[in-house]
Amino acid sequence: MGTYFARRMLLMIPTFIGITMLVFAITRFVPGGPIDQMMLKLQEASMESGTDIGGSTMEIPEASLAALKERFGLDLPMWQGYLHWLWDVVRLDLGTSFKFNEPVLDVIVNRFPISIYFGLIGFALAYVVCIPLGVLKAVRHGSKLDVTSSLLIFAGYSIPGWALGAVLLVFLGGQLELVPLGGFRPEGWADMDFWEKVRGQAYHTILPVLAYAAGSFATLTILMKNSLMENLGQDFVRTAFAKGLPERKVIFGHALRNSLIPICTGLGHAIGLIMAGSYLIEKVFNINGIGYLGYNSIVERDYAVVMGVLVINTVLILLGNILSDFLYVLVDPRIRFE
Amino acid sequence: MSADQQNRGDGKPVLQVKDLVTSFQVGTNRAVAVNGVTFDVYEGETLGIVGESGSGKSVTSLSILRLVPDPPGHIDGGQILFEGQDLLQLSYAQMRKVRGAKIAMIFQEPMSSLNPVMKIGAQVAETLQVHSKLSKSEARERAVEVLDAVGIPDARARLDHYPHQFSGGMRQRVMIAMALIAKPKILIADEPTTALDVTIQAQILELMKGLQDDRPETAIILITHDLAVVAETCDRVLVMYGGKVQEVAPIEQLFEDPRHPYTQGLLGSIPDPKHKGEPLPTIPGNVPHILELPVGACRFHSRCPIAEERCRTTEPALTSVGHEHSVRCHLVADGIDTFARMREHAAAPRTEEVR
Amino acid sequence: MSLTSPTPTRTETLLSIRGLKVHFPVYGGVLRRKVGAVKAVDGIDLEVRRGETIGLVGESGSGKTTVGRAIINVLKPMYPDVELDGSIEVHSRDGLVQDVNGLGRARMNAFRPKIQMVFQDPFSSLNPRMTVAQLIGRPLELHTKLTRDERRERVESLLERVGLQRSYAERFPHEFSGGQRQRIGIARALSTRPEIIVADEPVSALDVSVQAQVVNLMQELARDFDLSYVFIAHDLSIVYHISDRIAVMYLGNVVEIGSAEQVYMRPRHPYTRALVSAVPHPDPKQRGRQRIRLEGDIPTPMNKPSGCGFRTRCPIAKASCADLPPEVQTVEVGHTVACPHWREMQ
Repeated sequence: MGTYFARRMLLMIPTFIGITMLVFAITRFVPGGPIDQMMLKLQEASMESGTDIGGSTMEIPEASLAALKERFGLDLPMWQGYLHWLWDVVRLDLGTSFKFNEPVLDVIVNRFPISIYFGLIGFALAYVVCIPLGVLKAVRHGSKLDVTSSLLIFAGYSIPGWALGAVLLVFLGGQLELVPLGGFRPEGWADMDFWEKVRGQAYHTILPVLAYAAGSFATLTILMKNSLMENLGQDFVRTAFAKGLPERKVIFGHALRNSLIPICTGLGHAIGLIMAGSYLIEKVFNINGIGYLGYNSIVERDYAVVMGVLVINTVLILLGNILSDFLYVLVDPRIRFE
Repeated sequence: MSADQQNRGDGKPVLQVKDLVTSFQVGTNRAVAVNGVTFDVYEGETLGIVGESGSGKSVTSLSILRLVPDPPGHIDGGQILFEGQDLLQLSYAQMRKVRGAKIAMIFQEPMSSLNPVMKIGAQVAETLQVHSKLSKSEARERAVEVLDAVGIPDARARLDHYPHQFSGGMRQRVMIAMALIAKPKILIADEPTTALDVTIQAQILELMKGLQDDRPETAIILITHDLAVVAETCDRVLVMYGGKVQEVAPIEQLFEDPRHPYTQGLLGSIPDPKHKGEPLPTIPGNVPHILELPVGACRFHSRCPIAEERCRTTEPALTSVGHEHSVRCHLVADGIDTFARMREHAAAPRTEEVR
Repeated sequence: MSLTSPTPTRTETLLSIRGLKVHFPVYGGVLRRKVGAVKAVDGIDLEVRRGETIGLVGESGSGKTTVGRAIINVLKPMYPDVELDGSIEVHSRDGLVQDVNGLGRARMNAFRPKIQMVFQDPFSSLNPRMTVAQLIGRPLELHTKLTRDERRERVESLLERVGLQRSYAERFPHEFSGGQRQRIGIARALSTRPEIIVADEPVSALDVSVQAQVVNLMQELARDFDLSYVFIAHDLSIVYHISDRIAVMYLGNVVEIGSAEQVYMRPRHPYTRALVSAVPHPDPKQRGRQRIRLEGDIPTPMNKPSGCGFRTRCPIAKASCADLPPEVQTVEVGHTVACPHWREMQ
């Protein structure tokens, strides 16, 4: 078993290199990179000041161009550049953001709590609501409650989270003014007392969390329901009834334990998603999280940040997969990875 | 299985099934899987219920414990008398007190019939915990005793093992231990050895025989498709076809003097080493689908080589033909020697056997 | 063919298996190195003569199904890393001799029509979306140059031959009962005019009353087409009924082989004796008969005991049984036993 997880850890390395190498190569080839942008800035600056440096076509002095290239690591061939970058990553140096002029690690770490805050709350909410709801739907399969909740769930599933967020924002925030129009925290945070802070934070949390969780609500509830329904039809459930166990014990003691297996193992995969945030939802609600950061860094060709966010997400998702396997071993005694 | 077979006749019935009707919803149709089944089970006997797929043998056994999944199944009528009560009239809570404690059941697939994520000690002890006030540790002690009694080596150490850590035969032993721990009066075994290898089957059948040596009053109902297993283990046999009892007889009687053409056909189609290589006697046709069974007629007439016109138009009743021997056949009821008829028919040139 | 009239002796070799081994490697450790193997078949010799039925019996884990799959040469495609050793020579009617063990696809194509298979579960082995005509006609399409009409005619006559109506050709598998599906499976196997059919538990999924029909059909066909069967089954009474010779397998080895009478009526290997005595008899009067009880379960082929595979359950095992694979001894002509101590079982 130990060897299995050791092997999985080792296999992370080639996967990680493959993913990052691909994105690294793309950053080299896509037009509009940092040099282009620098040149654009210089051009704009020179046009504003009215001075003409090099005639109609913009020319940057060879020396400054070389300096720029060196600064962004573009002076080396691609594979050398990649190796340099990789070596820096190994030493936990993700480079410097071209936009923020700060170390990338700081830029990311500053935004982490925001994404984790929404991700975790949405995630916890989904589990707290979906597991009991799924169980109830399975036990009362075909009842009014089952049918109406299915309708709601599928409606929620078919609307993308950010769209639902936008609609709710316009309606509840814009029309009814029940919730704020966005942002992570209310203004004047520093001057609030504790309860004001709690209330303020809650107002700012409700809609983004709903938007985050809407999609997973459907999948999780239906997964829970189907898994339990399937187990209720198993032979060992019949055995449990034949022993004389009350229905409650059969469902919760026998069937539910087995049907929680796929749900538990989903936790590992969820870790990556929680941390990654969501570009669109953060954009709609004007929250400055990791998703928003990643999105902007691509638009602005802030490649150090793009690669940094990629590194963190890749590592989290790969670790999440291993965590899933590990949870599998914990909850299902039949699984033994060799 | 009891050595002294004479006991049986004086024994009193522990269970009486009367006119049991159980049906299932199949698409838009109602399929009657068990259609007016009546039989008694005596103290200390082993009653075999034999039949092919769709005969209603398993549904009958599930109906006794009211374990038929409802929907799509439903027990439509009849009585199941046990200890002076009709099990079909009991409340849900009262029925629970019968299941596992008074009437226990084991199933065909010992792997899927055990909870895969629960330790076997807990699964075995659980039966006792719901039916008695024993503490957890007392119930565990009893579990060790029963597991030991059914031949699980090193039972105490194996309490904390999971079902997948046992072989097929050992799992069926665990199932039997689980069924016996509360000392039931009746054990229903639904194809308990069908999924097992021959040498393991022999071990399990021996174990079940030994069980009545220790507790002679325990009755066993053995559901199987295998007449050889019946011959090895049962005192009395019920032959079912198309949801109805076709023949009931003491074991020697059934094998020596089977009267129903279906029973004769079933016994005939077992290869006899004395006639190695010769064409086996067969029952023509296929086992009909439950929805295509003849109604208002003998259920077997469509496959019966010696069926007459009345077999197609009226349904025969279960008629006594001797001590504890009853047959559902017009011809037998009229005293016709069905065995001779079948032989004549087999000797006559045949044209098309398969329909 | 009753006991008194001896079965005609068959002498022409059709299939000659020598030293067949089928090992499935097991990988382990951080680097996924091979750490062991499931020795499903561990060196068997077996000869099938033209026109004979050889029964292959054994319990789960004995390797009988794997032998069948090795003969029809589907192991490589199913398990690419399987390790095959030994030879399976086919001596076909047209005089060709070929070792088909692990033979590549292209060269196997010439032999596929000669070796066909009938499966246990007639439903899952038939594609539910194909009509009976397509199912039976498919091997004809692949292996013959028949025209569409000729194929159709062959399909219908095959249906008739296995006891089904010609008009069934347009139906789908789900419209048939288990016994009828098995007839379709047999018709499909017959379509290429095979010389040998490997039948893996062909009747064990069928109802008792239908088993006998299928057994009779298979026997008729063997006579009419001069077919050989490798009849793989766990039900000894049926195997005895249909087989000319029987080979008994335990943990990847053949422990006893001989004529059906020799093996079933006068078994010599301690395992065969236990196996035969465990078979329930459909006669309540024989209940008290002496049984040889086997303790415990079959070990997994992954942890096969050293020396004789059966020694862990054997009532007459000696310390020396752990050292070397048991020597094969001849009991009488055509009857061999892989146990040097078999005389002690008397």
